[in-house]
Amino acid sequence: MTSRTRAEALDPITVEVVRYKLDGIANEMQSTLLRSSFSPIVKEGLDASASLFAPDGTTLSQSCSIPIHLATLIPAVAKVLETWPVDGMRDGDIYILNDPYTGGTHLPDIAVIMPVLHRGKVIALSGTMTHHQDVGGMSAGSVPTNATEIYQEGLRIPPLKLRDGGVFNDTLIKMIRQNVRIPDTVMGDLNAQVAACQGAARRLAELADGYGHNQLASIFDELLQRSETMTRKALAAIPEGTYRFVDHLDNDGIELDKPIRIEVAVTVRGGDIEFDFEGTSPQVKGPLNCVPSGSLAAACFAVRALTDPTIPTNGGCFRPIRLRLPKGTIVNPQEPAAVNARTSTIKRITGCMIGALAQVLPERVPAASAGELLVIAFGGSQPDGNRYVVGELIAGGSGASAGLDGVDVIETDATNCMNLPAEAMEMEAPIRVHRVALRQDSGGAGTFRGGLGVVREYEILDGEVSLSHRGERHFSSAPGLDGGSAGARAHSVIRRAGGGEEVVPSKTVTTLRKGDRLVIETAGGGGYGDPRARTAAQVREDVRNGKISEDAARAAYGRAEQE
Amino acid sequence: MEFEIGVDIGGTFTDVVCRNGNGAMQLVKIPTTRSNPSAGVKAAMDYMRREWRVSPDEIARFVHGTTVATNAVIEAKGARIGLLTTKGFKDVLEIGRQMRHSVYDLVLKPETPVFLAPGAWRKEVDERLTATGDVLVPLDERSVVHAIDELAAAGVEAIAVSYLFSFLNPAHERRTREIVAERHPRIMVSLSCEVDPAFREYERTCVTAFDAYIKPVVGRYLERMEQDLAEDRVRTPLQIMQSRGGISASRIARQRPVRLFLSGPAAGVIGGLEVGRAAGIEDLITVDIGGTSCDIALISGGRPLIRAEGAIGGYSVRVPMVDVNAIGSGGGSIAWIDGAGSLRVGPQSAGSEPGPACYGRGGERATVTDASVVLGYIDPAYFAAGSLELSPKLARQAIETVIARPLGLTLDHAALGIHRVLNAQMAEAIRLVSIGRGIDPRGYTLLPLGGGGPLHATALARELGIRRIAVPPHPGVLSATGLLSAPIEHESSVAFPRPLANLDWPEVARALSERDEACARLMRSEDVPAARTQIFYFADVCYVGQAYHLEIPLRPEAANPIEALYRDFLAAHDRVYGHSTEGAARIVNLRSIHRSAVGRPTTTVTAPSRGGNALKGTRDILTADSGRFVPAQVYDRSAMAIGTEIRGPAIVEQPDTTTLIEPGWRATVVADGTLVITADGKTERP
Repeated sequence: MTSRTRAEALDPITVEVVRYKLDGIANEMQSTLLRSSFSPIVKEGLDASASLFAPDGTTLSQSCSIPIHLATLIPAVAKVLETWPVDGMRDGDIYILNDPYTGGTHLPDIAVIMPVLHRGKVIALSGTMTHHQDVGGMSAGSVPTNATEIYQEGLRIPPLKLRDGGVFNDTLIKMIRQNVRIPDTVMGDLNAQVAACQGAARRLAELADGYGHNQLASIFDELLQRSETMTRKALAAIPEGTYRFVDHLDNDGIELDKPIRIEVAVTVRGGDIEFDFEGTSPQVKGPLNCVPSGSLAAACFAVRALTDPTIPTNGGCFRPIRLRLPKGTIVNPQEPAAVNARTSTIKRITGCMIGALAQVLPERVPAASAGELLVIAFGGSQPDGNRYVVGELIAGGSGASAGLDGVDVIETDATNCMNLPAEAMEMEAPIRVHRVALRQDSGGAGTFRGGLGVVREYEILDGEVSLSHRGERHFSSAPGLDGGSAGARAHSVIRRAGGGEEVVPSKTVTTLRKGDRLVIETAGGGGYGDPRARTAAQVREDVRNGKISEDAARAAYGRAEQE
Repeated sequence: MEFEIGVDIGGTFTDVVCRNGNGAMQLVKIPTTRSNPSAGVKAAMDYMRREWRVSPDEIARFVHGTTVATNAVIEAKGARIGLLTTKGFKDVLEIGRQMRHSVYDLVLKPETPVFLAPGAWRKEVDERLTATGDVLVPLDERSVVHAIDELAAAGVEAIAVSYLFSFLNPAHERRTREIVAERHPRIMVSLSCEVDPAFREYERTCVTAFDAYIKPVVGRYLERMEQDLAEDRVRTPLQIMQSRGGISASRIARQRPVRLFLSGPAAGVIGGLEVGRAAGIEDLITVDIGGTSCDIALISGGRPLIRAEGAIGGYSVRVPMVDVNAIGSGGGSIAWIDGAGSLRVGPQSAGSEPGPACYGRGGERATVTDASVVLGYIDPAYFAAGSLELSPKLARQAIETVIARPLGLTLDHAALGIHRVLNAQMAEAIRLVSIGRGIDPRGYTLLPLGGGGPLHATALARELGIRRIAVPPHPGVLSATGLLSAPIEHESSVAFPRPLANLDWPEVARALSERDEACARLMRSEDVPAARTQIFYFADVCYVGQAYHLEIPLRPEAANPIEALYRDFLAAHDRVYGHSTEGAARIVNLRSIHRSAVGRPTTTVTAPSRGGNALKGTRDILTADSGRFVPAQVYDRSAMAIGTEIRGPAIVEQPDTTTLIEPGWRATVVADGTLVITADGKTERP
């Protein structure tokens, strides 16, 4: 590499200063996105990200608030560069796409990418990805749980020019507006994306003014190489070998009796890390299929979480990663498989990747977490006739580790969403929340106990309500580690006003009526180590605080309450 | 003669300022006694009597900024408390909002302050209100009695009460307090309908539990200080700085201690505001650089930015406070080399023990302060007014061994590198804080504070495109001076969930006048005449369906106050979030703030009116743009007369800080003693 010799001439301080600026520019883009987006899922779920890329598509810096966005723009930028080589890019060009089969993730995520030119030469690309509130398709919000092909999920935008040399593509804009339910909101969020890209371009051009674009290019090379070196060093500290892990998703929401298998073999060798998904379920009818960008995000999360956290994150960190995603499986579905609900899949993939390495990194990897994000939505009418839709995202417990109990009801791995206050739900909809409580005995037993799931109980106060319930961990549990027990499975039940109970088979769309109650219980995290090695004091404390019952103290921990 | 006293007790130093009837100010730093901070007040009283001849009965005001509330949480020294909730909801405190802060950590730690009240200390009470505040299940007093008797027997000192929808109807919570008072009069009580009457049960419960947790500790501390002052024959009632930047009588403040979490930093921001006001500057970014951290705050249009939720000991707590953002960079930040051979600075800090290598206390790692010595910015013999002799040899040795040699740099360039990396880091953080609040830093004036602020000011300003810097006369003790300029302030808010469409102004006015009565009662109890009170109204407003709101000033004098509120909301939304649409909006909370200016302005400036011999000599310094050592003129701040103009490269020394004026900047001492530094034409990036 010539960059090595060039880099030797570089002032190491300048390299570091430029790194802070690149990170700062990405953070500023992200701040602009979060601040000026209309979409509540961006504001409250932080579902957006911003990145800078070298002209060859390597990530220079990225800012994202949830790991599911890690590296998520890489395939999109690659597609853009494949379609429009950098030499032909002009000032004022902007590219757009959302099609999962040509560089996207799922249809609500729209990528906006812009070349940054300095004295006529492309010195970098800036890109943003935002989860839009609606992109058309069979249901409002464009995440239909019952979709079986991508055509039902919304408008597909292949790689196109949103702006060509400063002139906006009115045809495309009209097409978008015509195909979404809330055109003003979607256009507002697109404008925020463009603004964020432009802000970045301005600051990058200033950098090039200060350092010259040749020097800047060598600094970019140097930064990438440094992160790669550090990542390989950290990976080399993991004992070489191949490590396997298998876990399951409950079902695809269409074929309810078919669990979905996720199998990964992680091979660490010579500073490289490979994730091979041979043995994973074929693609499914329902929308849980996950295009390769999802596995890449999961792999980046795993590498970042398992290596040195001080390594500056850029494309250099991703170079040691290899993915083997067999075609036609749930991790590399073929058109026209539906993909909108791939979040559950990415969460499970992440859990498997991390779980595989628990064997060799027992001090750093906890037992499995519930890794579920239960999505429920109630839709009905207020007494005054106004329609409402109110939804919740509900977590389970995290896995215990060597030294610490798991955390109760906490978001883990690829996502990080807030729950909905009971008061907020009752103020918005004629629904009463009767209980929000820790789910006793749901944490896997162990020397260190898994985190507890939650119990929430709802009562319908008026009219007919459509309920959509998308669960996970109803048919598989979060395994324990090193002798620890698995966490309890999730369980949801509908109690009809007229009597009778219906157990929810993980996923359902059904109707509730006045007086009906829904009780959901999310899963617990796995325990760590032999439960009998847990101290008597800790077991007693758990009984006192209601985290375990006296029965469990006896049965799982072999201890009677001694008070 | 009458005196006004401000005492700011920090972790290391207790700053004391005294303003006499003529407006002249004196100040001193006394080491803080960590084990007994209020001993600092005693020491301050002794000092003032001895050195400034202040007799206690001449003290007209005594204002205190305290860290006692924060320390109780950080050191986990609060009270054992119990929590009462609505049946079915006792675990809300532990469940929280299920979000995690460290996104990439695999081993997680609890995000909620469970330690305040673990499961066994949380009891449920049979009662329930609906979302409109109507009683669904009446308060079962037997269940209250049962719960509080159990908690009392277990030895709780305080009880927090947080029932669902109590912000719409406080009856059940208030009755619960009566029952506690009847049966267990020694147990203190915090009610969620009073601490934080707003929706979202976790946030309300959390702040109420924190209030109960620190109430006995803060109460004892402030009560003792009140007694000590009374015994010292100080006749004026003790006043305390609150987190929003207003002061309150101590005996009121200790009834709601959760409002004291940011007492000290809030005073600093108010001090900055006062400096700005004196210099006629309304838009400021204050950057307070200490040993281990850097606090960034914004003052916009002459008012500090307030945020609705702050962080206490790592937990998010919904209590309004001055929007101060801390980052882990300071003079003690350690420089190190990472696995790929890059120079990194911080976030680890050498603190004050062992401190930077040049302190000669055994520190071997290179810090920012060591670099400042090598670069010639700090005079080793005049650090903190000569109270600590620094060793240039140890500074050079640390940087040479740990940084320069491994990186193949000269000593000087390694030292310069440490500064450049730190400045780049801090500049990005300041930019992010500003941009995140819809503010472009380029239109703002930089106000550097703390021992380290003025040393980095020109470098930071250049990075940020800021063209003006104001260095106050005493940047190191601004918190204490802020205590004397803060107004007395009382605030009262109420949940008011109503859409703006078809809303009647009289209904809003009624709700506000109830808040006014609450505030007026507090003002009267502090003997503030109603005529001197300014009243401000605010509404928290959001679009229908939005979960976040903006605090918008209400204008009752407008022809149509509701319409005006809506227009102002749209404008604020556009400013903060970059867009607005004419969508339906609603009110979430209403708030009344009563404010009364107290004390007198500081009239006597600290700068001499005619030139003494301010020039102390010259010293060679290395800055980013010169690339080699150049001679800088060194000035004594206390001798710089009003109107003095100097050009960079220059250094201005004073007991509490050193100001570095890089080439390309010029500085002037303006009428109130502030040193105003401006960019000299076009400035280059480093």
